[in-house]
Amino acid sequence: MRKWLSSAAYRIAFINFAAYAAGLAILGVFVFGVMHIAFSRQLDSMVSDEARTLQDEYASGGDGELAEAIAVREASASPTRMLYAVFAADGHRVHGSLQTRRPTAGLHPIVFQDPSEGPDAARARTIALPRGQSLVVAVDSEWLEGIERIVIIIFSLGFVGFVVLGFGGAVVVGSYLQRRLESISSSAEAIIRGDIRSRMPVGPREDEFDQLAATLNRMLDRIEGLLDNLRQVSSDIAHDLRTPLARLRNRLERGAVGPLNGDSLVADAVRQLDEVLSLFAAILRVAEVESGETKRFFEPVDVTAMLAELAESYGPAFEDEGRIFQWSIAPDLSVRGDRELLAQSVANLIENGQRHTSKSAVVRMTGASAGSLVCVQVVDTGGGVPEADLGRITKRFARLESSRNTEGHGLGLSLVSAVAKLHGGRLILQNSAAGLSATIEVPRSGQAPADFSRERRTRKKEEQPE
Amino acid sequence: MKILVAEDDSDTAGFISRGLRELGHNVVTTADGIDAMHLLSTEQFDVAVLDRMLPRLDGLSIVRRARAAEIHAPVLLLTALGRIEDRVSGLEAGADDYLVKPFAFSELSARVNALARRKPLKAEPTRLELRGLTVDLLKRQVLRDGASVTLQPREYRILEELMREEGKVVTRTMLLERVWNYHFDPQTNIVDTHISRLRSKLNEGGKPDLIETIRGVGYRMASDA
Repeated sequence: MRKWLSSAAYRIAFINFAAYAAGLAILGVFVFGVMHIAFSRQLDSMVSDEARTLQDEYASGGDGELAEAIAVREASASPTRMLYAVFAADGHRVHGSLQTRRPTAGLHPIVFQDPSEGPDAARARTIALPRGQSLVVAVDSEWLEGIERIVIIIFSLGFVGFVVLGFGGAVVVGSYLQRRLESISSSAEAIIRGDIRSRMPVGPREDEFDQLAATLNRMLDRIEGLLDNLRQVSSDIAHDLRTPLARLRNRLERGAVGPLNGDSLVADAVRQLDEVLSLFAAILRVAEVESGETKRFFEPVDVTAMLAELAESYGPAFEDEGRIFQWSIAPDLSVRGDRELLAQSVANLIENGQRHTSKSAVVRMTGASAGSLVCVQVVDTGGGVPEADLGRITKRFARLESSRNTEGHGLGLSLVSAVAKLHGGRLILQNSAAGLSATIEVPRSGQAPADFSRERRTRKKEEQPE
Repeated sequence: MKILVAEDDSDTAGFISRGLRELGHNVVTTADGIDAMHLLSTEQFDVAVLDRMLPRLDGLSIVRRARAAEIHAPVLLLTALGRIEDRVSGLEAGADDYLVKPFAFSELSARVNALARRKPLKAEPTRLELRGLTVDLLKRQVLRDGASVTLQPREYRILEELMREEGKVVTRTMLLERVWNYHFDPQTNIVDTHISRLRSKLNEGGKPDLIETIRGVGYRMASDA
């Protein structure tokens, strides 16, 4: 019982049940009361009408006619048995068979002596006749009581049934709610104990609990991603900074021992330090974007104009290298966001296509809208990247073996991915027929952030064999 | 030029003031925010270089107070904070330019020069002229020795910036900020490729080159041959 009371699930179920039971009881009493009053009125009007009819008989035909009318009525077997009596002024009964004491004029409940059953209750109408006589017409209220008794029995049985079923239902609902909540909280406990990879069980019904579990799982994914990122970044920073710093140190040490060419030594050292500093700037930029702080500066961005500007800015650079850069941009593309971050992201994709492919490769940029999304795609014909690396290259500092020796710090795509996420979108990397295809999908202005997690889940479902 | 340098890191302060003095400027330095505010309100400076984080009164508050007190000396804010938010708040407070540490001295001096030029906001010129090159700012038209030169919008904007800063170095980052409105550094040097297009259009027919490249820094419109 203690367990039931302390549980909100049970409490809600029981309160709900008790409210229904109370409602049902009140309704029962009300209906019964209304019925009782209606039937009693019916009886009263029956005896009153009858008494008036007999009074009329008496008025037209006198005592003899009245006695005859009463005798006729008592002889006929009517379903609602009426009882009659005429009392003389001295109080003894002169006509009729109703055995009772003489009542006063008016409508009263009386008790009479039923020859077969003994004392019985009835409703009686008493009218004073001339010469001190009084006429009593009564109707046995036994049949009404019978009906009422049956109603009470049926209702009581029904109520007991309702209570039993309702109580059982409350227990079932309560335990169901508790079980669902407990499965979530026990998973949470497991995570608290240190199993950060544990997840909430998500049922197949997609009800509120499943949605809650799925939301919590997404939150956990995000937290785990951030933790991984943090771990990854700290070790990568240490790693990536060591190499240029070690090189710089060696060079300076050589310069200290025997002056080589002083000027070129210093110029080299400055260049290497600049590299390290630009790496720091890039790390901070990605961190800033991932924190979501810059959302405050969001404003409408004309993507069409932005892409046209990028295309015109990069076109000459490609041309000078003897490369081919093509673009097609749909009109009226606009999103709500940070123009610079978006421009930098697309610039990163274009530069990737330029730097990581051979000179004969073609880089193509497309700006289009797809449903509620604005899609900016940069495709190259540079052969793509190994399928196994596709998921990895958006991670910070991830660099493919093949590009270890080209310039860059491995933060370009992670910035693009972070910017896409900041805008409620995503970055999709795929190997197309000829090379790598990178697509930034961002919701158009006025669209809610796209819920890609749900899409991913339904897709997974479709993959399952039926 | 009289320049106020307020910077509490003595290494950086020395680096800036020595460099500016070598260029022939009159430099007043302080390491304290209240001092800097006092100097700004009592003396006339052509440019003030303020660190964002100063003891007693930070750079941002100095700019705000100075602007409220009708002191219009151009202000260059220096900062170690490179976030978008920091840049926006710096410019909103009334700073004229914003430079994130670490920076190259050439970048600082180019910006200081540009700010000093901006100060006397007399009538905005409608025509820029230099050695046979004319830029009509109203018609957005460029003439070289009387012959019209057709430029792409961005090439025109670059030329306009260089002509406005005639004889002074304009760095690549300044061009990126002013022409493209980009505050990031693309790996591909889109500025250089545009400059080379601009050059070849201006110099068509073997005319002498008017744009001087300052290696590793930027470009300058050469005012003499």
